Amino acid sequence: MKLSCRSLEKSFGRVKALDGLSFDVPEGAFFALLGPSAAGKTTCLRTICGLDRPDRGTVSVDGEDVTQAPVQGRDLAMVFQSFALYPHLSTEQNLAYPLREAGLPSAEIKSRVGEMGELLRISHALGRKTTQLSGGEQQRVAIGRALIRRPKLLLLDEPLTNLDAKLRDEMRAEFKRLHRDLGITMVYATPDQLEAMTMADTIGVLQNGQITEIGTPDALYATPGSIGVARLVGSPPINLIEATGTGAELDLGFAKIPSDHRAQGALTLGLRPFDIQVADTAKTALLQGRVIVTEPLGDLEIVDVETSGNELKVALRGAQVGQAKPGDLLPLNFDANRLLYFDTKTGLRLDMSPVQN
Amino acid sequence: MADLNTSGAGAVSGAGSVAKSGGLLAWLNAPERRGPLLVAPALITLFVMNIFPLLWSFGLSFFNYRANRLTVPSFKGLDNYEKVLTDPVVWERFQTTGIIVGASVTLQLIFGFLLALLFAKTFPLRRILLMLVLAPMMLSFVSVAIFFKLFYDPTLGLLSWAIGLFTGEPFILLATPAGSIAAIVIADAWMWSPFVMLLVLAGLVSVPTYLYEAAEIDRASPWRRFRTITFPYIKSLLLLALLFRTIETFKLFDLSFLITGGGPGASTETVAIYAYRLGFQFFRTSQASALAYLILFVVIVLTSIYLYIVNRRNEEG
Repeated sequence: MKLSCRSLEKSFGRVKALDGLSFDVPEGAFFALLGPSAAGKTTCLRTICGLDRPDRGTVSVDGEDVTQAPVQGRDLAMVFQSFALYPHLSTEQNLAYPLREAGLPSAEIKSRVGEMGELLRISHALGRKTTQLSGGEQQRVAIGRALIRRPKLLLLDEPLTNLDAKLRDEMRAEFKRLHRDLGITMVYATPDQLEAMTMADTIGVLQNGQITEIGTPDALYATPGSIGVARLVGSPPINLIEATGTGAELDLGFAKIPSDHRAQGALTLGLRPFDIQVADTAKTALLQGRVIVTEPLGDLEIVDVETSGNELKVALRGAQVGQAKPGDLLPLNFDANRLLYFDTKTGLRLDMSPVQN
Repeated sequence: MADLNTSGAGAVSGAGSVAKSGGLLAWLNAPERRGPLLVAPALITLFVMNIFPLLWSFGLSFFNYRANRLTVPSFKGLDNYEKVLTDPVVWERFQTTGIIVGASVTLQLIFGFLLALLFAKTFPLRRILLMLVLAPMMLSFVSVAIFFKLFYDPTLGLLSWAIGLFTGEPFILLATPAGSIAAIVIADAWMWSPFVMLLVLAGLVSVPTYLYEAAEIDRASPWRRFRTITFPYIKSLLLLALLFRTIETFKLFDLSFLITGGGPGASTETVAIYAYRLGFQFFRTSQASALAYLILFVVIVLTSIYLYIVNRRNEEG
């Protein structure tokens, strides 16, 4: 089902939770709302499902305006951050809860609960109280309860926040599998760029109650529209370098690169840690970096280097891992074509490419 | 008490030299004696005012003591208990008490529960209204009794006047046994419904809001929401209210004694009033003690049944 939010506004007292928020989710999409905490993600989901009414704006589903429709009148389900399982009921009763109200025959309910138990691998826990389940099992019950009515739209509010890191990794793949198998439209709110990047086919970046950018994970990573989005997407975080344009040249402080005439005055350049490499020799290097800290991650190593007042994060791979020691001077190269240009004042990306030699 | 004794005994030899130099005060002021010393006044009061009379009256219930006679009481064994248990009046009083307990506690639970549902919501003037509603349980029995005595009064009372508007005659609620019992039940329920409300309210506000929101998304009907979410949170508190109120109402004395004086006839005379009359009007002190212990026994049985039910529920849960 198609979901469409148009210039939603919602205030709580003086706090503006939603400030003219608009986006569309096509049928069957996995849409991630990515934003820092207090950006308005939860309010946005609550408005979509009808728990909150917007002050202004509309929510429409398949072209039909449901802004004022009661929660029960919308064919959707929601997974809460706190799971919101009914503590006095068993897993089975929790799963069957939405079905009992629909007045289904008990044989049908039983078979559907069994199916859901299989699908989410919680068959062993059906008879237990949900308070006796592990975090991961509770999470699965919460998802199962949301899915069992076979809603056309599933809202997920930071569903992995309360789980430990290992379980989060597993559940990410699980969500993707569920989305593929069931084919329902999902809106997934998360502050974690990793979750948004790995699972969603479209990401809406939510900042201060507004969608600042919508795009595929690849597009947001490669060509973020603003400094804020560039910072939010990608791990390790992007390097931001203050630079000065002098017409023909851009002065990065540690290096000068040729530039077209538009690069005048103060600019902020973005450079992904993966776009910096160790040079073969000091001679061919564009810059020298003093190693401050190294973070080995197996096949990957994040190295913080310091060069003429700038601190850069560099991602080393393959044979380069484990070579750098704190205090070493590292010869580095980067591809000027990969630089992202931002207006320092507005924070917006400038469509500029360096002069080709 | 045991602590006091052992530390006192140990000190005689150990702190002998200190006692010589500093006297009794210094001996008492020793660090290891300060704790027991500070607790002593409370323990002594408790013993003198509570524990001793309790044991003494228990002892009395086996003698033929009468508080207005100087003769030395003699031991009678279980005679008093036999008299009390075979006394048809005692059984009548237990029945009266049972009717009052059943009616009043039921009303308290219903109204306390409804009031709690009301005050769990937010509305204007809620805090002020809440204080007003809580006022009855903080009043003394005597003032509540006087309120209701005036309220029921045939010539001056509001009730009589209001009914008189329709019938044209004054209404005498306390004239009939049934009316008198109703009068006591209404006064007691008015006074103690707020107590039930407080307990239930505590349960209601402890229900997380997100459960109701989840239920709304799951399209649960209001009744089902109440049964599966709200009720489990207040169930144990309702049972607790039931226990407290049953025990308290079983001992009902003041309201009945002051509003109806137990009348008309003996229709509103509770066991507590009967025990009082046995002891202080007929001066059959020992027999009154025996009856008092019989009431205690009934209350203990009720409490045990309650605890048994609660424990079984906990095991299930």
